[in-house]
Amino acid sequence: MGKDGYRSPQTGGVLDRIAPVVTLIGALLSTAGFVLAFTLAGPVNGATVNGVEVIGGEMVSNQLLFSQKIFYFHMPVAVTSMVMIGFVAYFGIRFLQTRDAAWDERARIAAGIALLFVLATMFTGEMWERFEWGVWWTWEPRLTTYFILMLLVFAYFVMRASFDEPERRATFASVYGIVMFIDVPITFAITRIVPSSVHPTIFRTDSGLSPDMLLPLLLSLFGMLCIAYGLFRLRLRAQELDERVEHIKEQLDEA
Amino acid sequence: MIGTTSTKEGAPLAGAPALSLEHVSKVFGRRRAVDNVTFDLPQGAFLSIFGPNGAGKSTLLRMLATLSRPTSGSAKIMGIDLKEDPDAVRAHIGLISHNSMLYGDLTAEENLMLSAKLYGIQNARERVDEMLEAVELSHRRMDVVRTFSRGMTQRLCIARALLHDPDVVFLDEPYSGLDPHAVEIFDDLIAAVREDRTFVMVSHDLQKGFATCSHALVLARGRVVAYAAKDDIDYDAFEALYRRTVGMGVA
Amino acid sequence: MARASIKKPSTFAQYRTLLAKDLRREFRTKEMLTAMGIYALLVLVVYGAALSQTSNQFDILQMAAGLLWALVVFTSLLGLNRSFAHEQENACLEGILLVPLDRSVVFLAKATSNLIFLVVVEIVVLPLFYFFFLTTTQPADTWPLIWLPLLVGTVGIAGIGTLLATITVNSRGKDVLLAVLFIPLVFPLLYACVAASTVVLAGGDVEGVFGNSLLLAGGYDVVMVLLSWVLYDYVISA
Repeated sequence: MGKDGYRSPQTGGVLDRIAPVVTLIGALLSTAGFVLAFTLAGPVNGATVNGVEVIGGEMVSNQLLFSQKIFYFHMPVAVTSMVMIGFVAYFGIRFLQTRDAAWDERARIAAGIALLFVLATMFTGEMWERFEWGVWWTWEPRLTTYFILMLLVFAYFVMRASFDEPERRATFASVYGIVMFIDVPITFAITRIVPSSVHPTIFRTDSGLSPDMLLPLLLSLFGMLCIAYGLFRLRLRAQELDERVEHIKEQLDEA
Repeated sequence: MIGTTSTKEGAPLAGAPALSLEHVSKVFGRRRAVDNVTFDLPQGAFLSIFGPNGAGKSTLLRMLATLSRPTSGSAKIMGIDLKEDPDAVRAHIGLISHNSMLYGDLTAEENLMLSAKLYGIQNARERVDEMLEAVELSHRRMDVVRTFSRGMTQRLCIARALLHDPDVVFLDEPYSGLDPHAVEIFDDLIAAVREDRTFVMVSHDLQKGFATCSHALVLARGRVVAYAAKDDIDYDAFEALYRRTVGMGVA
Repeated sequence: MARASIKKPSTFAQYRTLLAKDLRREFRTKEMLTAMGIYALLVLVVYGAALSQTSNQFDILQMAAGLLWALVVFTSLLGLNRSFAHEQENACLEGILLVPLDRSVVFLAKATSNLIFLVVVEIVVLPLFYFFFLTTTQPADTWPLIWLPLLVGTVGIAGIGTLLATITVNSRGKDVLLAVLFIPLVFPLLYACVAASTVVLAGGDVEGVFGNSLLLAGGYDVVMVLLSWVLYDYVISA
């Protein structure tokens, strides 16, 4: 496999050694972000979600203020899930280039972690909807496209379960992983394309987030990304060890 | 033969072995379906590949037929590299498998004309007539393939595979599903269309496979266990070896 | 025996050959067309029952485009499922892969034939839909423009659908799998096409919504068809 300078990706290197530490840092950071969200960030007038307003001491609605804190968890988790889906697509491309099973394994694990974060996003989003908007469900564009993203990740796993032959399964999964990524930029950009959306456009130069809100948000975001990384490496390592055990068992059987 | 096929792209090297494999492997994850296979086969030979189920026979054949890519190693067919120019290889090979690869709702003639057009055969009409004649299906040319018996379908399959005059013909378990009479007809036909072509057959049937071949190869767990020209082989010893190999079972 | 004299045909000639094969097969057996046609008719009947209690109380024009697209999506799902069944039956696809030809030709030929069959069914179904549900209403003057979103949407459906049907034909439980893979993937396209169709049927901000939605749907088509085209080689060789 050493041909063309290609080396199969390995586990057990420095990337794995730092994984537990990174996970821990991630946990601390997101906890800090979460705490700061309650202590540092000012309360928000929930009635005008678009163009978030910091009101300081002046409160408009006590009930709305508190549920807004979900945002400091919801947004980082959502962004992390999209990043993970991006990695599923990247690993898919690498697999198609190299036909190396190691890349497919990475894609599968990344998709698993993406699923975890997608579910967390849906759950927090659901709480948000209920308490901020007062409805259980609405076909609002961002919500809809994200819901579709969840279905795509489900479909990815349904598809993997439908094929027995490993190389064929890996190829099809890679292809689907790549096409499903198309929905990510759409979800991301939908608040710009369809202005009626009730989701605020966060990433812009005049996002309307004051520093006291931005700090906990960024802490949480960075923390979540660290957690995703740690989970990925740990899961990958566990998987690799599993396979090694299987292999040794097989060899013992043959002997 | 080489001269007459000069109109095909990627003209084969005169005198090159029909097949030339060097360290060909098919690996996925930890599974090695074909493991480091190396051998040369001269032009005009008839190679039979034997081995237990799951030995990698079909995987090897599918790689040689350009339907799947080797993970490593190099394979040349008629001197053309399989990985570098699969399309050039495709012009020189034909495949007859237990799947007919024929459209049930098209007539015999339509099926052959479809192939002829895709390959770009200039004298298509003439060639289709000839092949139908050769496999004794001229009287059924206007009938849809769905109405054919298994044996007739298999004969049409031969016509289809040889339409473009391949130098190397692969046979993947061609006898499966044929009754003894159809097998006889099939063998006669293969002998008739043999000419100076190279044949490579994968088969379960040791006796049948051994009777027709000029070279034999035994595969087990993806590796070559034995490879020799038939003249150098003592059948009894060979059979004993084969039984032992089958006894090794699937890895 | 005469030798075959071979001259490699152009990619376009191979495309035409494959397309002609699909059309000839279909117009002989009418497998996909009858299945899709009958299914579409049945969906219309179900719509009739579903809407029977609401006839005078709400404006069907606002909903008509949505209903039409639901019909199109489910009908094409049925057709796409069948489009590879006969290729799979005797491993015919393998026979085509043995020929020296560019793999994407297989994709383009299949996507084209699927597109043609879908359009044929739509041409039959659209007047029926009008006849059953819209004769009592007054569609906006812009309604003839509906062919545009229909065409753009159908191109996308045929493109992605061909890629996915090639994948699912090899699987266990292929019918369900195709739906699971296909519907979320075409959702953005569906969304845009419904918006464009609704606005031409029911009236409204035709310039703004219609243009934007079509642009969105068109962009999605281009991205998806290009992607399917590029990835098809891997899928079909797997």
